[in-house]
Amino acid sequence: QEFRRVFFLFLLKIICSLILEAPLAAQSSAMVSLHLVPRLIALLLLLPGRIRSSSPVFNSLLSDLQGDPELEERCRDLLRDFGRRYESYVKCAVPSARPVRICENCHIQFEMLRVVYNNISSDQADPENCRDSLLRADRLMLVYMLFQNLEDVWDVAHCSQCLSGDGLSNITLRYMAKLNQSLSCFESQKNNHSELCRVCRADYKDLNEFYSIMEKNQTLCIDIEDSMNATRRLWSKDFNCSFPREETVPVIAVSSFMLFLPIIFYLSSFLHSEQKKRRLIHPKRAKSNNSLMNIQDKHS
Amino acid sequence: MANITKRVSWSSLCEDRAPGEGTALLDDTPGARRCRRQEETLKQPNEIPHNEKLLSLKYESLDYDNIENQLFLEEEGQMSPMGFKCVEISRWVICGLIGFLTGLIACFIDIVVEIVAAYKYKIVKRYIDQFVVEGGLCASVILWAILNSAFVMAGSLVVAIFEPIAAGSGIPQIKCYLNGVKIPRVVRLKTLVVKVFGVICSVVGGLAVGKEGPMIHSGAVVAAGVSQGRSTSLKKDLKIFEYFRRDTEKRDFVSAGAAAGVSAAFGAPVGGVLFSLEEGASFWNQMLTWRIFFASMISTFTLNFFRSIYNGNPGELANPGLINFGQFESGAYKLYEIPIFICMGAVGGVLGAGFNALNYWLTIFRIRYIHRSYLQVIEAILAAAATATVSYILMYCSDDCQTPGEHQAVEYPLQLFCPDGQHNSIATVFFNTPERSVRNLFHNFPGSYNSLTLFLFTFTYFFLACWTYGLTVSAGVFIPSLLLGAAWGRLIGNLLTNSGVSIFADPGKYALMGAAAQLGGIVRMTLSLTVIMVEATGNVTYGLPIMLVLMTSKIVGDYFAEGLYDIHIKLQSVPFLGWEAPATSHSFTAREVMSSPVMCFNRTEKVGTIVDVLSNTSAKHNGFPIVSDFTTNEPGRICGLILRSQLIVLLKHKVFVERAQLKQRKLLLKDFRDAYPRFPPIQSIHVSQDERECTMDLTEFMNPTPYTVPQETSLPRVFKLFRALGLRHLVVVDNENRVVGLVTRKDLARYHLGKHGLEELQLAQT
Repeated sequence: QEFRRVFFLFLLKIICSLILEAPLAAQSSAMVSLHLVPRLIALLLLLPGRIRSSSPVFNSLLSDLQGDPELEERCRDLLRDFGRRYESYVKCAVPSARPVRICENCHIQFEMLRVVYNNISSDQADPENCRDSLLRADRLMLVYMLFQNLEDVWDVAHCSQCLSGDGLSNITLRYMAKLNQSLSCFESQKNNHSELCRVCRADYKDLNEFYSIMEKNQTLCIDIEDSMNATRRLWSKDFNCSFPREETVPVIAVSSFMLFLPIIFYLSSFLHSEQKKRRLIHPKRAKSNNSLMNIQDKHS
Repeated sequence: MANITKRVSWSSLCEDRAPGEGTALLDDTPGARRCRRQEETLKQPNEIPHNEKLLSLKYESLDYDNIENQLFLEEEGQMSPMGFKCVEISRWVICGLIGFLTGLIACFIDIVVEIVAAYKYKIVKRYIDQFVVEGGLCASVILWAILNSAFVMAGSLVVAIFEPIAAGSGIPQIKCYLNGVKIPRVVRLKTLVVKVFGVICSVVGGLAVGKEGPMIHSGAVVAAGVSQGRSTSLKKDLKIFEYFRRDTEKRDFVSAGAAAGVSAAFGAPVGGVLFSLEEGASFWNQMLTWRIFFASMISTFTLNFFRSIYNGNPGELANPGLINFGQFESGAYKLYEIPIFICMGAVGGVLGAGFNALNYWLTIFRIRYIHRSYLQVIEAILAAAATATVSYILMYCSDDCQTPGEHQAVEYPLQLFCPDGQHNSIATVFFNTPERSVRNLFHNFPGSYNSLTLFLFTFTYFFLACWTYGLTVSAGVFIPSLLLGAAWGRLIGNLLTNSGVSIFADPGKYALMGAAAQLGGIVRMTLSLTVIMVEATGNVTYGLPIMLVLMTSKIVGDYFAEGLYDIHIKLQSVPFLGWEAPATSHSFTAREVMSSPVMCFNRTEKVGTIVDVLSNTSAKHNGFPIVSDFTTNEPGRICGLILRSQLIVLLKHKVFVERAQLKQRKLLLKDFRDAYPRFPPIQSIHVSQDERECTMDLTEFMNPTPYTVPQETSLPRVFKLFRALGLRHLVVVDNENRVVGLVTRKDLARYHLGKHGLEELQLAQT
């Protein structure tokens, strides 16, 4: 039993450290969404682990020795509530990992989770309060850590930039509308790519420009970034609508003309410019007494 | 060996000289020597194309040695201990000012470059983006090339017309100055202004150049100006710091200014001090070093402070240098990587030697054929246009597209033909200021550049940088070398990472080592460069690998070619004295080295004689031994030494024995200082026929205790005296203390160890 417990704690620690390291590894925005997946899966794994770890024998012994019920009923309720909301959030988040829709789909669940966590952490009235007994009673501080990890995920995803009040912001909704317009255009023309490029260019360009503006104003969240990445990939790679390299001849002509100029310049200055000559000056030296030795004599 | 024999002329030309040819270093004093003719001497051509084996007459020595004449001793005697303390304090104040102003100039250059370059890149980017969509891309090449050429033309015109000495990085010139050679106009205010403007133009003009080297020159000019308390160009005299108006003090301050420049350029105060020690200050002591360090610190702090204000968060001191390599997150390397680093050092040495050799030929060509200023400007313009074109072709042909990362914003991403949302990878190095490109190469995450891109970049940039160094624009070679090295270093890193062995994780680290190797291979600095690189990255752990890399690159590079700065010093025909006399020169004695016979004066000399000697254009001597018992046949006994500049001041003030009663006051040391450093030429001093008959008493003004050596002194010994004491003239005497010759810097500098043993350089008029 004890061995199992220790082993489990060890496992927990590894998982937690993995979760903490994850944001450091995520470097490209395209990669961010992929990195969310293992983190969320890890969190999901944690849930049953936490419940299973409370072995009845261990607990009853301890509470017997301590003499008093170790948790007030009020705090136990809060903890239970936290667990339920945590579960519902993670249940929402994991399916929204690919394609990333976490901000759009789960912001309600996250808000609820945040409320209950705030209730726990703001409960600090009497000395036996729930904040201390739930959040900081032990080294692990599991509740704190679980919530913190989720909050980190939320921050890395920049979800708050797409939300306003209790729903998606106006800009986000407008973006979604434009995105749907483009995608439906793609859908309607998907059999003929060259036709698609021509017909949908206006919609796509509109979307692209709107996205650039949002990028500048920093109103992007991971959902939007990911959907835009996917759309761009569709446009450029799958439908091959990028601009072709078609002006090779004039560019090469102009460039070789430019590169030819220096050669002409150097040749002409070599041929026409007068070479610079230096006038030598012969200094006077004293005559050596023994002989007129020079370097060669001395060294041969 | 045979050709050397021919070039060496031990005896003079006296018997055979055609009338009016008077090119001898020391002009005739009748009958003072026995001449023998050597057959070879006459066969020498009098005009030869410029080459590296010449010494130019236009460079003179600094008077580092104090002239301890009576005036000086009297003045020193009058100074109280308190006065000396004040002098010491004002030295510190000056060093602080030097640091402050240097930092300010660095900040100014940086900000202007940033603003103008951002403007330029935005315009070009807009047009390129537009032309990709609408067609007509060749118009954007022309636009880019014309914009670049316009900037470069402005910079190059200013340099070529107003101050040619401001061309290049200025480090060779400062090196010479600190070595004790007076390079004309090198530390003037005008040079500084031209330099600053030129640097801004050439960096914004997109040439393969950096603004770091010129910072060192700027720092030196600031130092030379501030320490004098006046500007001769502006004709403003603040009447302060008069004590420092002589070469000794000025040269010390210039070494502080050079250090401050390095420190502002790289955010490396210790590196700056070491640079001064390594490259320049032959004469330094603990107090001077401490002051130099102070100037360096102030300089980097000033830059940091004003940059923080510019960036909108005053007081947040995060940008200590013009270039900041940025800290490497994992400051670690593995033991097994050291051999790889050493190999990279060797590669850097070979590439650096290649660079130097190529640049050597190019520079010779430039000196011989492109010596008119309009040609120089055209050359610079063509180089700017070609740089833009080559960059453009590479960007156009490249298929390497990258997704911008989360943590690294690309400043001017060019999409060109990449899929949407991605940008052209080679454009991040070409379409950017070089400093930014270096940082990208160091820090972008693995996989940001594919190997072909890096190879193409290295290949083209090598030739571009080599071509650019030596153009008539103010620009340094530090950043291009770093960029070049970072590119191939990263290429090696990429190859290692892709080799399937997972132990080589970070190509950025290899980029750093490559940069160090390349820079070391080109400029061959050791101690100071190690410290600069370590300070600029902020990773002390990289100290050892960087040191090993620089050592290897220097050893390998020296095997093939000299350092770039040394090559340029040689090509400028500067009489530069190395640390030691050439290795095989022990068999030479002072007798063979010296110039003889010497033009001497009596203690009381006729004004007419002095004026005649001074205005002799064929032999512009600067030091004249004062002798007693001076007869026409036998040289006299030495009793002092007087300089041309002193004589000129004396003539100007008409300190004649016959006019003594008319003079209101005695001449003071101050009168000499006021004329310093631009003593008027002798032609501007009018001496009437009447005055020519007067006499001058030189006793009071001459240096009564000049250094002398016997004729048998060996060359290395003479050399050591020159180097250690900073001498300008060394009188050679016989055993009765009679003057037989005079050794000057040019007499010593002409010996150098070439490929075929000891060679002798020739003097030439340039």
